[in-house]
Amino acid sequence: MSALAAVRKTLHLNRENAIGYGLLIPSIIIFAVFTFWPFLYTVYLSFFDWNMISPEKEFVGIRNYMEVLGDPRTYQIFGNTFLYIVILLAINCVVPYIFAFVIDIVLKRWNGFYKSALFLPAFISLVVGSILFTWILNPVSGPLAIVFGWIGLEIPNWTKSEGWVILVLSLITSWKVFGYNFILLYASINGISREIIESARLDNVPLWRIFFQIILPMSSATGIYVFILTIVQSLQYVFTPVKVVTQGGPDYASSNLIYHAYHEAFVVYRTGHSATLSIITMALFLILLFLYFKFVDRGIYYEN
Amino acid sequence: MKEIKFEHVKKSYGDTEVVKDLNFTIKEGERLILLGPSGCGKSTTLRMIAGLEDITEGSLYMNGKKMNDVPSGKRNVAMVFQNYALYPHMTVKQNIIYGLRVRKLFKKDIQSRLDSVLDMLQLRGLEDRLPKDLSGGQRQRVALARATVKRSDFFLLDEPLSNLDAQLRVSARKELLKIHEMFKQTMVYVTHDQIEAMTFADRIALMYDGELQMLDTPTNVYHRPANVFTAKFIGTPPTNILEMDDHNGFVTIGEQSLELNDMWRKHIAERKTQNLLFGIRPEHIELSTTPFSNGFQGKVKYIENQGNSYSVYMDLEGKEVVALSENKHWHKGDIVYFRPMMERIHLFEKETGDSIGYPEELLDENDKNKEESRVLV
Amino acid sequence: MKINRTVEITWHVIFMATVIVLVFPIIYAVGMSFTPLEDAYNNVLNIIPLHPTLENYITFFDTLPVVKVTMNTFIIASVATVFKVLTSFLAAYAFVYFQFKGKEVLYFLLISTIFIPFTVTMIPNYLIVSDLGLLDSVWGVILPQLADAIGIFLITQSMRSIPISLIEVARLDNLGHGRIMKDIVLPLVRPAITSVGIWFFISSWNEFVWPVLILKTTENYTLPLALQMYISSEGGTNFTVAMAVSVITMIIPLLLYLTFQKYIIGTFTSSGIK
Repeated sequence: MSALAAVRKTLHLNRENAIGYGLLIPSIIIFAVFTFWPFLYTVYLSFFDWNMISPEKEFVGIRNYMEVLGDPRTYQIFGNTFLYIVILLAINCVVPYIFAFVIDIVLKRWNGFYKSALFLPAFISLVVGSILFTWILNPVSGPLAIVFGWIGLEIPNWTKSEGWVILVLSLITSWKVFGYNFILLYASINGISREIIESARLDNVPLWRIFFQIILPMSSATGIYVFILTIVQSLQYVFTPVKVVTQGGPDYASSNLIYHAYHEAFVVYRTGHSATLSIITMALFLILLFLYFKFVDRGIYYEN
Repeated sequence: MKEIKFEHVKKSYGDTEVVKDLNFTIKEGERLILLGPSGCGKSTTLRMIAGLEDITEGSLYMNGKKMNDVPSGKRNVAMVFQNYALYPHMTVKQNIIYGLRVRKLFKKDIQSRLDSVLDMLQLRGLEDRLPKDLSGGQRQRVALARATVKRSDFFLLDEPLSNLDAQLRVSARKELLKIHEMFKQTMVYVTHDQIEAMTFADRIALMYDGELQMLDTPTNVYHRPANVFTAKFIGTPPTNILEMDDHNGFVTIGEQSLELNDMWRKHIAERKTQNLLFGIRPEHIELSTTPFSNGFQGKVKYIENQGNSYSVYMDLEGKEVVALSENKHWHKGDIVYFRPMMERIHLFEKETGDSIGYPEELLDENDKNKEESRVLV
Repeated sequence: MKINRTVEITWHVIFMATVIVLVFPIIYAVGMSFTPLEDAYNNVLNIIPLHPTLENYITFFDTLPVVKVTMNTFIIASVATVFKVLTSFLAAYAFVYFQFKGKEVLYFLLISTIFIPFTVTMIPNYLIVSDLGLLDSVWGVILPQLADAIGIFLITQSMRSIPISLIEVARLDNLGHGRIMKDIVLPLVRPAITSVGIWFFISSWNEFVWPVLILKTTENYTLPLALQMYISSEGGTNFTVAMAVSVITMIIPLLLYLTFQKYIIGTFTSSGIK
C-alpha cells in the first residue's frame, strides 16, 4: 500500500494524470513490444554468432563489428548507400523545393491539377512502379529505348552496370516519394505570410533571391524534416525496387545498408552481421535525428 | 452570498509571479471591471475564478465556499472568451443549448431559455447558421447568449468586446447591461480599455504587475487616484506627474513656484510628508496668453488635435506638461501661461508613489463629483 | 509584381513534363493489362490495345485465389488502419490535453521511432511473430506495423490547432473527457483523421517488405506479393499479367485518392509540420 502511494507520488498520479497515462497505454504497449524491445534485442544479437535456427547463440563480443568493419564489401555498401542518399536528396528534396516555390509563387493556373497529379503516385504500390519502370526502361525492347532509338540514343544496360543501376533504382523510388515531399514543402511555403512575399515583390526583388533569402530560411524547419525523411525513409523505400528488380546485384552493386542487413539475415542467415549492420545504420541515423531535434523540433512540439 | 473573495491569492509559473497577493472581495450582483495593461495579471485572475488556472497560494472563496480545488464545471460560472470560443461545427442554436443539454435540463425549459435569449440578443433567424457564416458582432452575441442561458451566479467576461469596432462596442455594452439588469449576476469583466471600464463598471479593480493598485468606483478612480500608476493609467492624455520641491507651501518646479492654498498647506502639514510628486490632469489646467498671479510660464512644443479639444504640449523648465485647450490659437514656440486648478491637484509620496490623500474640504466635493459623474476620458 | 510570361510558360512545360513522367506509367499499365502478351512485345508503344483482351485477368484468376488474396490485403489494411487511428487519436488526446510527468520524453521517444530503420527491429519482430505462431498469417503481418508514430504526430498537430478556449468552455459546462473527445475534439479533427486513416490504409495495402518475410503460401498472399510472382529477375516474362494484377492492386488506392484528394492534400498542407 505504501509502495503504491510512493509510486503515485512520484508520478503525481491524481485522477487527471491517471487518465492521461491510461490513454497512452495501448500505444506504449505496441511500441514497447514491436519497436523498443526489438531494438534492444538487435543490440544484443549484434554480440552473438547465430543463424536464427540453431538453439544455441555463441557470444562473440565485438567480433561481428570487427568482421563487418573489416570487410571491403561493407565499404562498397557504404559507398552505394551514400550514392543513393545523394541522388535521392537531389530528386526528392531539392527539386520538390523548387517546384513547391514555383507552384506557390509563379504559377497562377492549374495549380490544383499539378498538386493532385504530382501527389498521385505516392498512393500506388512501389512494386507496381518497379515492374512498370523495369519494362519501360528495358534497354533493348522497352518503349523508351525505341523512342530513344529514333534519335540515335541508347539506354545503358542499367540492371547490369554499376552506378547506372543505383541511379535508375533511385529514379523508380523517387516516382513514389517525390509527390509526398513536394506536398509537405508546398504546405510550408504556402504558410509563409503573403505580406512578406508581396513586400519583397514591391521592392522588385528577383525570384531567385526571394527563394534563397526569404522562402528557404522561413521554411527551413520543414526543409530539414524533409531532408531527413528523404534519407531515412527513401532509403527504406529503395528496398522494394532492389528486392523486386536486382536483389542487390550485379555483385552487390545496387545493395545498400538496409538491403544488405536484410540479405545477411534472411538470405545467408548471419543474424550477428545483420544486427551489427542495423546498429551501424541506426547510429548514422541517430546523428541525423539529433540534428533534427536540435534544429527543427525546438519551438514546434512544445509550444504549449 | 454570491460574492467572490480573494485571500492572499498568488499565482506563479515556475519562478515568475504573475499574480502577487490579491486580497479583495467582489460583491454580490456588482459589475466589477478588472482593468490594466497587458501582462498585468487580470486575465489570470479571471481564469482563476473560472477554475481554468490553478491557484498557487492563498484561498479563493465563492458563495462563501473555498473553491481552490473545485473543478470549473462545478463553480456555477459562465464565461465569454475574447475569441468567443464558439464550436465551429455546431449551429448557433446548438452552440447556445449544448451546455444545457449536457446538464440534462427539461426540453421545455431549454426551449424557453433559448427563445428568450434569441429575442433579447436579436439572434432570431440565425439559429441554424454556423459560426463561420456570422459577422463579428453576431458571433459575439452568440457567445453572450451561450453564457447567458446558463443562468449562472457568476458571469465572467475576458475582453469580450475587443474584436468589435467602435460602434458595435457601444451597442454590445448596452446588451450586456440588459443581461445584467435581468439576471443580476456577479459580473467580472476583464478589459484594458478604460472607456469600457468607466462606462460599464460599478467598481474598477485596477491591476499592474500582478498587484491590485486600486479598487473603487469609476469616479473615485478618476478623481481620487490612490497612486501615481492609477493617475497616469486613467485618462488621456495621462496625468502630468512632476517632481517638485516643497518649501513652506510652495510647489517649486525648477526655478518657478506655485503657492498652494490653505487647505493643501494644512493637509501637507498634518501628514508631515516630505518628498512629494505633483500631479495634475491636462483637463484641469487653465491656459492663458497673459501671466496668472499664481501660475507657471512655459513654451508650446507641439499640439495634437483631439477633435473636440487640443492637447497642448508645453516645456516647463525642461519638463513636459500637457494641457487640454478648447482653443486652437496655440502655436509651436509660443510663450504660454498656465495654472493648475487648486482643487484638482494630486500629491503623491515620492518613494512609494501613494497618494497623500486630499484635504477635508475637498472630500465633500468628491460626493458632488459622484453625482455629476461626467467623466472626461 | 508581374511574372514574366516566358518564365511562366517554361515552368508550365516543366510541370507538364513531370506530370507525364509520373502519371503516364499508370495509364500505360492499364493499357497493357488489356493487351495480349505478344502484342505487348511487338508493339511496346501502343498504349491503346490493338486486340483488347481479358486474357491477362483470366490468367491471374486461374493461377491464384484472387478473391482470397484481395480479401487478405483488405483485412490487413482495414484492421491496421482502425487500430492505428484509434490508438493514435487516444495518444494525441493525452499529449495535447493532459499534463503528466514524462510527457515530453514520451512524446519524443514515440516520434523518434519514425526515423528508426526497419532493419533494426526486423529480426526480433520476425522472432516474435514466429514465437506467437503467426508466421504465414494475416496477424503476423498486422501486428508489427501497428507501431507507427506518424499518426500520433499528425493528429497531435491537428489537435493543437484547436483553440484551447473551446475546451475551456466545455470544462465550464462540466463536461467529462469522454464528451469533450466525442462532441468537440473528434468532429474538429475529423479531416485529419480521415486523411491519416486513408494514408494508413494505403500504406498498409501497398506494404511489401514485411509480408515478403511473413507470408509463405500463395493462398495467404497480399496483392503486392502476388504481383511479384509474375516477374522474374530478367524483367517481365509475364508482363501483361503483371499489369493486370497491378491494375487490381491500384484500383482501391486510386479511387480513395481521387475521392478524398482535397481532404488529404488539405491535411498534409495545413496540419503538417510547419
